[in-house]
Amino acid sequence: MPTEDVQQGTLALMVMTTLEAMGPMHGYGLARRIEQTSGDALKLNQGTLYPALVRLEQQGWIRAKWGASDNNRKAKYYSLTPRGARRLQAESARWSRISALMARFLSPAGGRS
Amino acid sequence: MSGVRRWLARLTEWLRSGAVGQDADSEIQAHIDLAADDYVRRGLDPAAARAAARRDFGGVDRAREAVRDARGFRPLDHLGRDVRYAIRLLAKTPGFTAAAVLTLALGIGVNTAIFSLVDGVMLRLPPYPNADRLVALWESSPGKGPEAARTRTSVAPANLADYVARSSSFDAVTMFANTLMSLTGAGTPERLLTVQVSRTYLDVLGVPPALGRGFADSDFVAGQDNVVIVTHAFWQRRLGGDTAATERTIDLDGRPTHVIGVMPPAFVALGEAEAADPPSLIVPLVLPADMLTGRGEHIASAAARLKRGVSVEAARAELTAVSEGLAREIPQIGEMRAEIAPLGADQARDVRTLVLTLWAAVGLVLLVACVNVAALFLVRSISRQREVAVRFALGATRGRVAGELIVQSLVLAGLGGGAGLALAFWVMRTLVRLAPATIPHLDRVTLDTRVLFFTIALSAITGVVFGLLPAWQVRRAQPVDTLRANDRAVVGGWAARSRSVLVVVEIALSMMLLVGAALMVRSLIALNRVDLGFEPEGVLAANIGLPPATKPPARLAFFEALADRVSAMPGVRGVAFGNRLPLRGNWGSGFLIEPAGGDDGVKGLLAGFQAVSPGYFATFGMSLKHGRALAVTDRTSTEGVAVVNEQFARSFLNGGDPLGRVIRRGPEMPAIRVVGVVSDIRRGGRAAAIEPQVYLPAAQLQLYPLPLSEFAVRADGDPRPLAQAISAAVWSIDPKLPLTNTRTLAETLALRQAERNFQTFLFLLFAVLALALALVGLYGVVAYVVGQRTHEIGLRMALGASPGRILAWVMRQAAWLMFSGAAIGVAATFAVSQYVRSLLFQITPADPAAYAMAIAVLIAAASTAAFIAARRATRVDPLEALR
Repeated sequence: MPTEDVQQGTLALMVMTTLEAMGPMHGYGLARRIEQTSGDALKLNQGTLYPALVRLEQQGWIRAKWGASDNNRKAKYYSLTPRGARRLQAESARWSRISALMARFLSPAGGRS
Repeated sequence: MSGVRRWLARLTEWLRSGAVGQDADSEIQAHIDLAADDYVRRGLDPAAARAAARRDFGGVDRAREAVRDARGFRPLDHLGRDVRYAIRLLAKTPGFTAAAVLTLALGIGVNTAIFSLVDGVMLRLPPYPNADRLVALWESSPGKGPEAARTRTSVAPANLADYVARSSSFDAVTMFANTLMSLTGAGTPERLLTVQVSRTYLDVLGVPPALGRGFADSDFVAGQDNVVIVTHAFWQRRLGGDTAATERTIDLDGRPTHVIGVMPPAFVALGEAEAADPPSLIVPLVLPADMLTGRGEHIASAAARLKRGVSVEAARAELTAVSEGLAREIPQIGEMRAEIAPLGADQARDVRTLVLTLWAAVGLVLLVACVNVAALFLVRSISRQREVAVRFALGATRGRVAGELIVQSLVLAGLGGGAGLALAFWVMRTLVRLAPATIPHLDRVTLDTRVLFFTIALSAITGVVFGLLPAWQVRRAQPVDTLRANDRAVVGGWAARSRSVLVVVEIALSMMLLVGAALMVRSLIALNRVDLGFEPEGVLAANIGLPPATKPPARLAFFEALADRVSAMPGVRGVAFGNRLPLRGNWGSGFLIEPAGGDDGVKGLLAGFQAVSPGYFATFGMSLKHGRALAVTDRTSTEGVAVVNEQFARSFLNGGDPLGRVIRRGPEMPAIRVVGVVSDIRRGGRAAAIEPQVYLPAAQLQLYPLPLSEFAVRADGDPRPLAQAISAAVWSIDPKLPLTNTRTLAETLALRQAERNFQTFLFLLFAVLALALALVGLYGVVAYVVGQRTHEIGLRMALGASPGRILAWVMRQAAWLMFSGAAIGVAATFAVSQYVRSLLFQITPADPAAYAMAIAVLIAAASTAAFIAARRATRVDPLEALR
């Protein structure tokens, strides 16, 4: 997706990782979980989550289904598809490579100078 | 790959966009509910919990938009919304909408209809295969006078044979000539338009018969040439669609003739251009030997099929060289040269100027319509300028605002186009019905969709451009300025100026059409003032088709018998017969005047020669000037006599007295003594010149046995009811004789002038349309000015200005627009009016009276429109205005 910026790509990766770890979740649950995981370092503007979910769904990486929440509210539950799982593997591997690379650039000790 | 997948998903979602939108809404609602539940659990009261949940979520609307963006196709969504918005907006301003749609419909409708006419009559190729390779071929000689056009004439077969033999451009060449043939035998006798053709006729046109065979060389041997190929319509009508028709014979001009072929239904026989209807029959053209060899026998039209890949220009260049070469070898050819032109264009050459002028005129109407639409949009978007500025200030993108304006223009253009289509259809049908039969190919006229779309597109672009200009203007200015400005002042100045320019343009264009219409009207008036010299009212005439082989004494006996019978009928005041009648053709002959008294006589003269019955002059209301009229006593046994017209003396005797002079048609021909002088008539109608005429007694067959064929009767009242009785009288003498062209002289005269009436009517119509549109524009500007200056007007009135002075002040501004428009229009008309010279009669394109008429109409109409708008200014209540 050439038009997506890093932010969106990052958010998508967070969503997919969370879904892999936690199983099916609704949008609000996802938002809370991502905030908690980041140790509240990331204050998500929760509304921005939804366009990202739509895109992931359109890619066929997640699927959505209406269901009832624990306190009996109707909510849309998202889960990772097998395609999404494969994609997540590839993406997280890529992400690790990039962050390792970036880490080397950002800490001069790691560089060959 | 995943891009394609997502795109497909979006497309499906967009198609069921309503459900998806609701889905997103309820999901967001669920999110906020769940979040609020969480806050309540953490101890907040429900109201605070909801507020907190909303705060966490961020902008609900923005999220919804973002989801929608991700889901569907944003531009398409916008389009739908913009179209709905545009329709709502248009419905809110019915005045503007009606004006714009009507203006567009007029421009689009009338333009499409006229172009369809131009296309059908002039531009479309004749209905033959590969018609772009068909050319007309003719010969021409230098015209009289230094700048005169070349005089066109038919080709001489001898010359044509040489042109073809020496050229390499043509696949095939054919000659053809129109004639009338009498069909007798079973059923009503009929005179049918027939084309006599050379053997290659069907090869040139590229259409073989559907039934039977084409022409063979053996069909062109004298004595074996009694064969005919018939059109599909004739076969259906007269031969009952009989598939064995090719074994039948029909009686043509009293001769049994074999039907050898039937043409396919779509085939239109190519005849000479002057006939309105295509021929029904095709017969061999068999020429006597002297006509085949004579270099001056210009007797037939010709058409040719160019070889594949040869352009008309190349063929023309070659033919010109061939023609020059031939003329050098054969001195008799003299200045005569061969010419060719594409067949379709050549057939329409007589109406070319008329049709092109109409096209230009209707183009001006379209231009006025576009300018009007421009002005309407300008005003409208001025009034929306503040709104646009507000939206820019609130962060709307230029693209969105421009998109909206464009969509509005397109919706209007669509509405205008729809109405225009209906109008075009109606106008076209009406035009075809009203158009004189002298315009060829009217049956080919169909609505042209290319033009329809072209005109709709043009109007849409006009709307878009003028809808966008104000957005541009706002963009240049700071939105804040626009918002702060009292929109009477800053915004108005630029717009009012643009609008004034548009109105001046409209008035100038209308002025051109008005002058055109005035020139046509003046021509028509001049034409109707012309004295024919005879009385066409009350005369009914018919052509009676005696077999061509009928000997002159038998013809005379027939017509004398017929005249006796018809004279005896009640209500008949007089009868006449002759070879040709006024308005129904002419016949010319060379002759000489013998020396007499003091002068040497004159040789090599040309005048009209008519063989007429004794009642001829009285029947047509011509008066005897000198001497005696022709009498029943002028027979073969008495001295050869003639009556001439007054023009005869002017043309040939320098105004001297023709009485007693002796003329002969050739040195060895019988002597004819002039015994009387009758008044001049315009035989060819009001637009025709007066020609010298010699009237011979029809009974003096020894002088010049012109074939008698025309019969006329003058009735006490309406002569039309006599038609039946005349047919009955003819058939009581010989039941096999067909009558053709049975109509009153008044009808014939009307037919002659139909084309001029038609062009005048259309020009008037266009001028009125353009003027009406321009007046709407002018009214709008003045009303706008008054609206803008209400405050100022109120102030002036409060300071003591009388309503009259206020009115004068507003009218002065209107007058400025009016006079500049009129002046520009007059100058422009003056520059182009030369092109309509050939459509005028006795009126020059610079005719001052026509200009005066047009200016007077324009000023009167424009002043009225401006006055109505300006009157509002005098009704301004100073207290209201200043509050």
